[in-house]
Amino acid sequence: MAKFHPSVDLLTEYVAGILPLAQSACISAHLNYCPQCQQQSARLQDLGAVLFESLTPVPVGDALLNTVLARLDEEPPLSYRRAQDPAVGRLPALLQRLMKGDFSELSWNKITSSLSISYLKTGDTAYEFALYHIKAGGRIPEHTHRGSEMTLVLQGGFSDAAGSYHEGDFLFREASDTHAPTALQSEDCICLAVLDAPLRFTGWKYRWMNPFLQLRAG
Amino acid sequence: MKNAGATVEEKIDSASNGWQGPTGRRTDEWSECLTQIAATGDRAAFTRFFRHFAPLIKAFALSGSSLSAAHADELVQEVMLKAWQKASAFNPEKAAASTWVYTIARNCRTDMFRRLQKFDTPLAADDFMPDQEPSEPFAMLQSRRSRDTIHELMGTLPPDQTQILAKVYMEGKSHAEAAAELDLPLGTVKSRVRLAIQKLQIQIDR
Repeated sequence: MAKFHPSVDLLTEYVAGILPLAQSACISAHLNYCPQCQQQSARLQDLGAVLFESLTPVPVGDALLNTVLARLDEEPPLSYRRAQDPAVGRLPALLQRLMKGDFSELSWNKITSSLSISYLKTGDTAYEFALYHIKAGGRIPEHTHRGSEMTLVLQGGFSDAAGSYHEGDFLFREASDTHAPTALQSEDCICLAVLDAPLRFTGWKYRWMNPFLQLRAG
Repeated sequence: MKNAGATVEEKIDSASNGWQGPTGRRTDEWSECLTQIAATGDRAAFTRFFRHFAPLIKAFALSGSSLSAAHADELVQEVMLKAWQKASAFNPEKAAASTWVYTIARNCRTDMFRRLQKFDTPLAADDFMPDQEPSEPFAMLQSRRSRDTIHELMGTLPPDQTQILAKVYMEGKSHAEAAAELDLPLGTVKSRVRLAIQKLQIQIDR
């Protein structure tokens, strides 16, 4: 059971459908691990429905009704059926769709001896949507962010000065928090990270790499 | 004619709280209407459903004035057609018809925005729905109560909180956009949203 969750105002933006696509995908993935957040979202959705019902109706002419009636025999799009496909395995279906295979089939960019990154394409041109693979016991060099960072643990776990995080845990950091996450000793850790600015290593040993860490949004 | 009598009682009960009986089956007018559409493909029922919801969907499309009248009509068409095509997936034990329609309208509007912005994405808004909906009877009971409570408490919210909720949910403004528009600090907008959610008693322990 996940212990770290998106804040209620972040969930509100998610439910209202106004979060950027990449961030939305990350929260959606967290919900698949977290019945409490699902329940919280369901209630926030009830709130949306109550607001929807209390809108002042805007008249719709019969022409539009007739257009819709004339289209009722159309075949529903295939995607309506696809949306109901159950997920295979434990990963959220949405991630599986973006990955088009399992972790081993992705192309991984080796950043340090214990960190590899695989970039997934969401179509959101403002946010990088990437999987981080940290070797068991491995450490991501101390870094900071110029923007925000959402993290969701998909496998294994990691810890930093603020705590330790396991499968399904969700973290949201605003710009300029510095941290150096270390994977748990027991197994490799895989996280989803959603960034709107590239990470910046702060330690002297890795700082030279910063110019190479471009944001890979899209 | 025993059953007819029971139906009248159900109707009375549904008028008071929208819920009836230990099975927790929704008996509000539009949930029944939608169930009928799913079961028999009843076009007359669909026409009634359309006349009720289409003007709300149009209002939803036009709030925030980010969509043109033509796009608003296109959205009404898309949502109503999808409601017809997906009616068999509607489960009155899990949601009221209005919540179900609102969800479809929200997803279609999000997809329309992304289309208009020429987003090249493999994902549709429907893909963001969790793989499994909560199905425990307890969670479902909570959900029913939460809707009734929201209805009751909505009128007790101060106008500045209702205004922000409308901006976020209906106009589709992010907290940052709402803050800029109302010339308020972002923190004030966030705290109004949080306060409203507490007052409406929909915050759960996580």
